[in-house]
Amino acid sequence: MRDLKHLIEFDNLLQEANNELVQQAKSEGKRALGYTCYFMPEVLLDLPGCFSVRLRAPRSTSPDVATYYMSNRTCMYGRCLLERALEGGYNFLDAQMATETCTVTCRFQEHLQMMDAIQNDDFFCEFTDVPFKKNKNSIDHFETQLQNHVLDPLKDHFGIDTSDEAILKSIEEHNELCRLINEIGEYRKKENPVITGYEFQLIMLVSLCCPKYLIIPKIKEVLEDLKIREPDEKNPYRVRVVLAGSENDDPDFTKLIEECGALVVADRHCYGSLPGREEIEVREGETPLRAVARHYLEYNECCRFMEQHTMRERKDYIADLVKEYKADGIIVESMKFCEYWSYERTIDTLIFPRDYGVPTCSIEKEYVNNAVGQLRTRFQAFIESIELKQLNAENHSEEV
Amino acid sequence: MKNFSIKGFLNQFTGVQAGKKFYNDTKSGALDERREELHGRIEDRKEGFDLQKTLHDFWYGKPHGERRLGDLYIGNTGLYKHREWRGVKDTMYYFNMIWLYNYGNMLLDIFKSDEPLSFFKGVLRYRWMGQTYLTVMHWFDRGLEGLRGEALKASAWHYRAMVSETIRQFMRMFAADKKLHLDEANEYWYKTIAHDETVSGNIFYGWRDRFDDVALQMIPYFVSCHVNNKTVLNYIDAMQSIGLPADPCPMCQAESGIFVLDDYPDYSPVMVTSNEACDGSVATSIITDWFLDRPLFAMPQPMRFDDPLVHKHCMEEIEQCWKFIEKETGEPFNWEEFKKHAEAQNKLTEFEREKWDVAANTPYYPINGVAQALYRIYYSQDGDREIWHKTDAHVRKILNKCVFNKIETFPNTRHRAIAWSCAPLYYSNWCTWAYNCWGINTIINMDSLMFNQTIRTDTYEHALDDLARYNELAPMRSMAVGGHEHIFQLWDYMEQFNCDMVIMYDQLQCKGMQGIKGRFEDEFRERNIHAIWVPHALPDKRTVSRKEIRSIINDYMTTVMQEEPLDPSLIDFDDDASW
Amino acid sequence: MKKFIVTTLKLLGITYVILFIVFYFDLDGKFLYYIWEPNVITRFDKMKRKDNVKTPYGKKANVMPDSEVEERTIN
Repeated sequence: MRDLKHLIEFDNLLQEANNELVQQAKSEGKRALGYTCYFMPEVLLDLPGCFSVRLRAPRSTSPDVATYYMSNRTCMYGRCLLERALEGGYNFLDAQMATETCTVTCRFQEHLQMMDAIQNDDFFCEFTDVPFKKNKNSIDHFETQLQNHVLDPLKDHFGIDTSDEAILKSIEEHNELCRLINEIGEYRKKENPVITGYEFQLIMLVSLCCPKYLIIPKIKEVLEDLKIREPDEKNPYRVRVVLAGSENDDPDFTKLIEECGALVVADRHCYGSLPGREEIEVREGETPLRAVARHYLEYNECCRFMEQHTMRERKDYIADLVKEYKADGIIVESMKFCEYWSYERTIDTLIFPRDYGVPTCSIEKEYVNNAVGQLRTRFQAFIESIELKQLNAENHSEEV
Repeated sequence: MKNFSIKGFLNQFTGVQAGKKFYNDTKSGALDERREELHGRIEDRKEGFDLQKTLHDFWYGKPHGERRLGDLYIGNTGLYKHREWRGVKDTMYYFNMIWLYNYGNMLLDIFKSDEPLSFFKGVLRYRWMGQTYLTVMHWFDRGLEGLRGEALKASAWHYRAMVSETIRQFMRMFAADKKLHLDEANEYWYKTIAHDETVSGNIFYGWRDRFDDVALQMIPYFVSCHVNNKTVLNYIDAMQSIGLPADPCPMCQAESGIFVLDDYPDYSPVMVTSNEACDGSVATSIITDWFLDRPLFAMPQPMRFDDPLVHKHCMEEIEQCWKFIEKETGEPFNWEEFKKHAEAQNKLTEFEREKWDVAANTPYYPINGVAQALYRIYYSQDGDREIWHKTDAHVRKILNKCVFNKIETFPNTRHRAIAWSCAPLYYSNWCTWAYNCWGINTIINMDSLMFNQTIRTDTYEHALDDLARYNELAPMRSMAVGGHEHIFQLWDYMEQFNCDMVIMYDQLQCKGMQGIKGRFEDEFRERNIHAIWVPHALPDKRTVSRKEIRSIINDYMTTVMQEEPLDPSLIDFDDDASW
Repeated sequence: MKKFIVTTLKLLGITYVILFIVFYFDLDGKFLYYIWEPNVITRFDKMKRKDNVKTPYGKKANVMPDSEVEERTIN
């Protein structure tokens, strides 16, 4: 396939947290608000006058200083973020809207509070308590938290308009972006898609890391370009997979899978779009803030949720993605030292092949992915095993 | 694990091995050298023999510097050639009031339970029972080594209480256990509520007149690690055998592994879980749900508990839990029953504060580090039970005696230490060793400093309000997560308890504590505090052995503190194969 | 009667001394370590166990739907 419009530019934007578009928005007087987790509703950080940046630490190597502070037995994502902060890579941030949704990112954000790491006089870091359930009590609680720990501080510190009208406007912009991303994502369902998982991830990541009002026009153009993009005559991929798991903001990891012959057709992981890019619906009688609180709990598939039925339903969600995107298997990845996904991955690896009949490949990876050789072997073996199964199934059906 | 052979066992008593060795040594000439050395030692002894001192030592026990406790061990087994002679009075106290009394009471506890025979079934069915709990007197021995007088008595009462409550819990589990009753649910099964060990027992006070609540992992996992640390390794390995990496918290791994090995008693129709204390506990709930496969209520506590806005949410979750129990059992919450137990619990808390006061401000506190830590976390998590009150009555008498008579219970204290973060379960008695070897007296532990909230019982609303706060500050929670400010309360507690040293537990797989390690290093340096980092892997002795832990403390004491050991025989010994 | 009391006292005395010997020489520990533990380990290692990993992971209903969360009455 020919190159997709803006893709090289997107790739460049992802080389720095403080990228060109972030700098442009800052120069226009907007406040940059960092966050790490989907539980922090980006839509509230994209109110007029500010913009959200989901933090990444691209081009990280060895987080030496952060390892002194957080030891080498914590998730490398958290450490790389701290290293980048200590290097001055996040000095553009005006605030960090923090959540204690996993231990290590919480500790990273606490270091921002403790260490005066962000060289910005206006900088502050505010924590929001995030519930573990999706029930009414949790939505009430989350709404209160968002009001008091996101909206009020933004208003007090930066004079941001946090009225219902402003939130509605932000929801509108957010929904526009979601429609675009979803429309692009739909192309992945085709028999011979005109977009690869790697390309989609680049688009998804820029939508998280760049000011919305600056990135939406470019994503629109990408969508237009996709409409006229011709796929390769012969589909170069041998199988289609759903990529599920923990934090993954590394397009090269997706590229590695695809280089081995498996097209990543669905992205159910932190920084992915499933879930993550669903439109927010403001129901009748609901305040926009209430709608946001409800949406970010209801649509969330994080393995942090503890209700019995929720724990079990999230397996169905992945199985449904397999069907919807016509995938042949699932690759479940977890970041080394990620407590939640270590368990979730173990269960997934046992359950999906047995109860859902979906071949599953289980991978543990680092944020700085140096184990390319080993992973390539694993993926190739997985792809071959799927092909073998397909072959066996075909032979069996012919015999019958 | 050593394979048992009758011959080997008898050899130890009949001297066959010694005979063989004698024969070999005679041939090699080594015997002559040894004989000369022995003659020399006998001459030395004759010269230094002091009858009066010998009699004094027999009557009163050897003074601290001369005990050589390390010489009592047999190889790496942790067994004793003979138990310590503590002087006539203390040895006879240990024999009568600890050893005999506890063995006797263990039998009584079992036979007065609902179904005494199920004890034997349990011993033969569950590894954590059959392999672990019969060795309980050695748990006493390890924790009470070297203790004398009032410290020995008070600490032993704490151990006694824990044993009694453990027996009560496992006997209830066995009585209700489907697996021990041909897979059939009996009345006890319907009348028992299972919950995570990190869900406080006080949540269930409202049903204690009709139901019993038993923590699912407390006996199979938590207590068993302290008594016999070998059992738990099976559960950790089992969890990893189904694909879990080795890096998550080993406590959660072990708790989950019990299910993988089908070594959990099936004693309740319901389950209440929690997110206490960390991410791993959330993950354990998923495994628990999968394998138990029955109605499960998750009662998560808020993470940012300092925020007053989380309180309402927490109260409502507790009420929903009560609603769940009502729905599943068909029995309503009994406010009067709740009140009765909450008030009784407040009495325990009151006494705890008194104990803290004595520990912080005097040298007369008669409870050693390990007894204090384990008893505190056990009873505060378990909630009001009769045995805690009985124990406190005994301990109060001893405490008063020590204070009024100004009895220095740990007279060889060189350093008053505070132990911070979570402790190695396989070596909870390290503080007994540290006192005997180096005079490091562990005054208080981080885990002990929680649960000191009073629950008001004047109205339902007040009670719920306080109960929510109590649970927000649950074990490991209030200091390990929920904001770094809480972990750094260490400095205040050091001052409050007059400590001059920190034993900083370094749980290698605890992400919360690992994630803030460097800041502690910085603070220790800036504040010029003597802090010894003690790495460990909670229940898993294979990651950092007990010997290594001792070696780290030894190194610090000799190189940084430049001190001489009180008992050099304890500096280096092997207890790798011990319980 | 006197003989019975004396015999009983003697027996109790002997038992007490034997128990003290067991205590002092840690014979209870040695028995458990060298005889009991290896045997129970063998037993538990060989024990047939249910493979719990085969437990189905089906859907479950919400144990406490919002619709059921009503005001509780306190006795």
